[in-house]
Amino acid sequence: MTDGGWARISTDAFNVALWSYIAGMLAYFHYLAFRRRVVWRIGLSAASLGVVAHMVSIVARGVAAGRPPWGNMYEYSSLLALLVVAAYLVVVEGMYRIRTLGGFALAFSVFTMAIAVQFLYVGPQPLVPALNSYWRQIHVTSMIVSSSLLALGSVITIVYLVKDRFERSATPPAISGGSTDLDRVENAPPHFEAGADEPAAPARPARRGLLPSAAVLDRVAYRTLAFAFPLWTFGIITGAIWAEEAWGRYWGWDPKETWSFITWVVFAGYLHARATSGWKGRRAAVIAMVGFVSLLITYYAVNLWIVGLHSYAGV
Amino acid sequence: MRTALALLLILALASVAGSLVPQVGVADARIAQTFRDHPLRAQIYDRLGLFDVFGSWWFTLIYVLLFVSLVACLIPRTRAAVRNVRSRPQPARELDAMRHYAEHPVPEPPGRVIERARRVLGRRLFRVEASPADMTDGSPLALAADKGLAREVGSLLFHWAFLLILVGVVWGRGTGFSGRAVIVEGQTWTEAHASYDGQIREGRLFGEDHSGLRITVDDFEARYRVPSGIPEEFLTRARLADADGRRLGSVDIRVNHPAAAEGVKIYQFGYGWAPVIEVTKAGEPIASGPVVCEQDRAPEGVSQLQLPWNCVVKLPTLEPQVGIAFTLWPDIRGLTSLLETGTSMPMLVRFDPVMTFVAYRGDLRADQPVRTNDLDTSVLQRWTEGAVGAGETKEIGDGIEVTFEDLRNYTVLEIKRDRGLWLLLAAAILILVGLLPALYTSRRKVWVTAEADGDGSLVRVGGFALQRRPQFEDEFARLVDAIAGTPRTAPEREEVRT
Repeated sequence: MTDGGWARISTDAFNVALWSYIAGMLAYFHYLAFRRRVVWRIGLSAASLGVVAHMVSIVARGVAAGRPPWGNMYEYSSLLALLVVAAYLVVVEGMYRIRTLGGFALAFSVFTMAIAVQFLYVGPQPLVPALNSYWRQIHVTSMIVSSSLLALGSVITIVYLVKDRFERSATPPAISGGSTDLDRVENAPPHFEAGADEPAAPARPARRGLLPSAAVLDRVAYRTLAFAFPLWTFGIITGAIWAEEAWGRYWGWDPKETWSFITWVVFAGYLHARATSGWKGRRAAVIAMVGFVSLLITYYAVNLWIVGLHSYAGV
Repeated sequence: MRTALALLLILALASVAGSLVPQVGVADARIAQTFRDHPLRAQIYDRLGLFDVFGSWWFTLIYVLLFVSLVACLIPRTRAAVRNVRSRPQPARELDAMRHYAEHPVPEPPGRVIERARRVLGRRLFRVEASPADMTDGSPLALAADKGLAREVGSLLFHWAFLLILVGVVWGRGTGFSGRAVIVEGQTWTEAHASYDGQIREGRLFGEDHSGLRITVDDFEARYRVPSGIPEEFLTRARLADADGRRLGSVDIRVNHPAAAEGVKIYQFGYGWAPVIEVTKAGEPIASGPVVCEQDRAPEGVSQLQLPWNCVVKLPTLEPQVGIAFTLWPDIRGLTSLLETGTSMPMLVRFDPVMTFVAYRGDLRADQPVRTNDLDTSVLQRWTEGAVGAGETKEIGDGIEVTFEDLRNYTVLEIKRDRGLWLLLAAAILILVGLLPALYTSRRKVWVTAEADGDGSLVRVGGFALQRRPQFEDEFARLVDAIAGTPRTAPEREEVRT
């Protein structure tokens, strides 16, 4: 088959994936509101079909370009969207058995793909020599996987913030005041902080609400972000190694490097906040939101609006 | 910790500024543009060091303070961790007051139960300490166990590694250098301070110990896709020899594939054209050899490959002195396209190369510091002009003839030495090795006692986790079952379905 044929397959499969995700997103939101099991099944099927079509699209793209299909912004975005959906299906539905968050994860991917196809599309083409390195494969892969997990964790954090506000307004204020110190641990030496992965407050009595309880959302978001952070760190390190090979300097404060560092700092701050009593819950979640914005700037703005070495790949 | 975190945040904010304002060395053209378009703003930025954030005194101040406060945090934490690692698990009273507590009657005597508990805990990598207790007077046998020191140790490794990064960067930059070598095909270049022609940055701790490495460039090749102009390959084929002239072998230096020899690394950085020009007067040669040509920076929207290359030959021995400014078109179609349509075309390959030239007469002002490829035309008169193709000879007047003998490439290599790299690599490994246990393990403590109770004994287990408490609940239940020797009933998997 010709490269053009593969390129067309890639585009068609991309469209199938996008429309499947849109259908899945609508079904999941419907399930969130009305809890019809059959609608959840439809959503899950649509998302799964989308994942399969999406994989076909990415593989075909790789064949058409004659190289691994993550070489420019369009391809990164496509892969990122796929990984967010896949991570949602595996982690949130598979491991945590939460079904109500599908709409949010799919919405993120639909947005990412829509932006990719609208503004970032370029035909498959070979890479310039500077991008042609196996370190690049490792660097880009870990960056995309960690970006998708950071994005998923951030989306869940947004849902957490909404749900937490809702729960707060629905719960009458505690009479005993705020300093019940639920985090204190028996027999613990004084310098030990309570666990970072524990919700700021114990799960409130489950109201039959639309979403999982704030405590559960908080924990799932933390786990996802804490898993993504070392991967992001690894991505920065391999990026530095690649930069040393390609440009002869491991760190040059190029805008992409700078913003990946800023994102790293913000999520490091988030992890510290989680381990500090009094900063868990909403405050830490707000830090994660700042991290999410920083991630999006690292991902989009740097390539599109800020000039630097990473942008010679353009879109 | 708060101070260090605040400083880290400030560092991030400063970096934001550094990514939004164009930086020296990354976006020089945009800095110049800011000075042209907004002189006042540019002045202010310049004063504040915003064009060179990452080299500015205040950025340095922030990270120095950050490291000071980090060390101030880490020293007491490290001491405590060392104490913790050295000390053995301590016995505890009142197991039933622990967050997790269970008691089980078992048919075996206390000694057997404790022995089993020791095995169970040991197998699960707990540190186990038996309390000195005496069986004879019926007092309970007791074990204290803990696990998860890796969390704090990992966290400390992670944080100390950043100090190692600082050391690696300072040591590497201080004792190293990086510079650019311009080498024409066929020429040999020696790695020494003078060879860089000023294009070198040497560290403050640098001891003038250049390697003396000799690089002979046999061939340079730049390949582009036709017609898209996407670069495909930049390749320098070279032979290396050490300071004493001993051959070190041949290397291919290409983008992403630097060569290393004699403690330096050699990167492909750029390339250009060097026509071999001979100038004669009345048949006598007065200048000959390859001349390094340079390009102007392409304006916005124009490919760098569309631009011709400029170089100058100066003839100070003539009376009056003569300077010839050459404009090289490595692909003649670039020039013809310019003449016919007003715009050049990207020159991707060598194709009938041609040079146009303008000759000047007068005073070259050789006493003034003028760049090799610049002519000070203020005191020179325009004399003649013309064009010469490869292999051709043209008379420019007064019996002076110019021959365009050959067209060669020159390669620009970045030569670098950084002795701190291995420290940085070690730090990177420590960061990752430390981060994983710091995030994913938890500190937990367990105590076990057993006392005789009728024919068997009563075993008590208490414990708590400092982190990841929901997981510990499950782990604790399993531990109790294993210690009591009761088969674990398959737990209902708790499903959070909402």
